[in-house]
Amino acid sequence: MAQHPVIGYLVWAAVFGAVFAWEGIALVKGGAEAGFPTLSDATRAVMRYPVARWALFALWLWFGWHTFVRGWHFLLRDGP
Amino acid sequence: MTPAVWAQPAPLLSVPVTVGIMLGGYLLLMGYLALALRTMRRRPGPPPAERRGWPGLVRKVVGTAVGGYLLLMAVVVGYYQGVARVAGPFLASAFTGCALLVGISLPVFLGASWLEERWRRRRSGRDPEG
Repeated sequence: MAQHPVIGYLVWAAVFGAVFAWEGIALVKGGAEAGFPTLSDATRAVMRYPVARWALFALWLWFGWHTFVRGWHFLLRDGP
Repeated sequence: MTPAVWAQPAPLLSVPVTVGIMLGGYLLLMGYLALALRTMRRRPGPPPAERRGWPGLVRKVVGTAVGGYLLLMAVVVGYYQGVARVAGPFLASAFTGCALLVGISLPVFLGASWLEERWRRRRSGRDPEG
């Protein structure tokens, strides 16, 4: 970890910072009705359509599989 | 003691292919969102009526899970088999791992929904104004 280039993490931090900053501005300004949709407004709009629901679920599944399932082995199962 | 050097792994894909995939994915997503926004503006108001109650919920949740799973598998097979040429155990892990997640999350979600509904009914039964 000591030798990781920090700049790559800083870029991710900036991206997430921008997301949270925009969410905060949208909440303060009054949300979608005021022309500043929050993340919830955007998700709600997307969730109206089945294909978009599939895409969102696929994204969740992909993230969950990478984070919690991939690389794990069931108990008593031989390793690779 | 020599200092540890952060090894640069070989890139999985060439730069043009990577840029093409990222750009293609981004344009597809933005195009779909633009289409959805346009449709919403043309037809404002609530979404079309759906079946209510438990049959409606189960149908919507199972439909979303199956559709999402199949969509993800199509993308995974298309990308890892067709572009990145990574197949075999990785693809098998994607199929079984994602199926495992769906198999765990769906019953938990439906069970939690049933408990929440039961708790809400009990509460409204006790509350004279509810």
